[in-house]
Amino acid sequence: MNCQEFQEALPHIVLESGGNAEEEAHLRSCPSCAILVQDLRYIADQAKLLLPMHDPSPRVWSNIERSLRSEGLIREGRMSLMGHITLTPQMNFPSQSKSWTPLGWAITLAAVIVSAVMLVNYHPVSPVSQEVLPSPAVSSLEGTDEQLMGQVAQQPAAVRSAYEDSLKKVNTYIADAKKAVDEDPSDQAAQQHLMGAYDQKAMLYEMGTVRSLQ
Amino acid sequence: MNLPYKTAAVSALVVLGVTFALAADTHKQTFNIAPSGTMNVINNAGSVVLRPATGRQASVSYTALSDKVETDCSSTPDGRRVEVRTHALAGQKPTPEESRVDYEIAVPAGVSVNISTSTASITIENLSGDFSLSSDTGQITVTGVTNSFVHVHSLTAPVTLNNLSGVHAEIMSTSGAVQMTSVTGPKVNVSTTGGDISYTGNFSGGGTYSLITHNGAISVSLPETASVDLSARSISGSVENDFPLHDKSHTTFIPTPGRSFAGTSHTGSSWVELQSFSGRIRVKKQ
Repeated sequence: MNCQEFQEALPHIVLESGGNAEEEAHLRSCPSCAILVQDLRYIADQAKLLLPMHDPSPRVWSNIERSLRSEGLIREGRMSLMGHITLTPQMNFPSQSKSWTPLGWAITLAAVIVSAVMLVNYHPVSPVSQEVLPSPAVSSLEGTDEQLMGQVAQQPAAVRSAYEDSLKKVNTYIADAKKAVDEDPSDQAAQQHLMGAYDQKAMLYEMGTVRSLQ
Repeated sequence: MNLPYKTAAVSALVVLGVTFALAADTHKQTFNIAPSGTMNVINNAGSVVLRPATGRQASVSYTALSDKVETDCSSTPDGRRVEVRTHALAGQKPTPEESRVDYEIAVPAGVSVNISTSTASITIENLSGDFSLSSDTGQITVTGVTNSFVHVHSLTAPVTLNNLSGVHAEIMSTSGAVQMTSVTGPKVNVSTTGGDISYTGNFSGGGTYSLITHNGAISVSLPETASVDLSARSISGSVENDFPLHDKSHTTFIPTPGRSFAGTSHTGSSWVELQSFSGRIRVKKQ
């Protein structure tokens, strides 16, 4: 399962009982989706907590109920506006208390709308670019490249920049050539490019090392 | 202008002249160097110019623009190795401008010379020998070199080769453009990652010429008299040919219009291979 498929199932994962085994597996393996689910669940929980805060006192609802009953707008047995079921004498089950008021429903609805907007605008970002890489400027440098950049750290800015740009270009060359070889392992031209790309990288390391020794 | 003003003006000029002379201090040293000797030159900023010497002595003239850097020149007693090295004095942190040292070096034919610079340009004129040149960003120019081994490494440094014959050249550059005019020899290999490669000449001498780039452009211009066995191939770039070639009966790949072609002209004495990954290749008649 990829991130897009996971997102399609997000509403029932967040608002209902959770996902199936495949969705749970993706949730465990993808930090990006895990953070999203965590955020959405937090929003939903906070929305529920808002309900008691905005619930007016029972006296207010009693007064409203009395007024509506006197005007004949409500009858016995219907749920009152304050969220209580008014029991008739024939009903033999205990009083049922609900905290879901119209205001609560409105807030919950707003939270759902906010969540929906977030889902629509959500663009998954790979965990690597989110957490491991310090900045886009070094996005295509590899681990050992950082060592080389450390070796030329004492050089003028223009030279450091030349090394960084060159490393990025050579890494792109290697990636392109590898892809071409993977697509057609018998392609001699692609193989030649791959070897040439590695030669270029070896040259960069050799030059950088010599420069640092100087 | 009255006399006091004239005196003041002349004095100021004299002071300026002396200051400049002290700041740009030029030195010259000579060394006996063995016929198969080696000279190693390290100079980060400034320039290095290498020319032929008369006789068996090598001479090194250098001009430093700052007293924060020092040049060490030394040779072994047998003359088999000469070291020329610029370095900052202890405790000094010269700026890039203050680090500049300009060298003019003369060496006898047949000497091996290794030059390594960071931003300094390298120029070699009218010599023969073994030359290993490396620069991060400094322009590299080799002109009039014959029967020599020329080995060049550059990051972004542009490389210009003019009128080289009988050379075994290995040119590798990441982003620097490589420009060749009348470069011939038994083996000429040029490879770049992003730098453009251009060749103008006839690929003569029955040599092997290989120009390879990732996404740089390859431009070849050759006369109709050129005798070549030429192939051009790009994996995802375009390939254009305006040069008259005879189809080959056998190739190592199946030519694809717009992506690759192969053919010969005259006897096909030199083997020419042009390859790019995504850069454009263009072959045209002069």
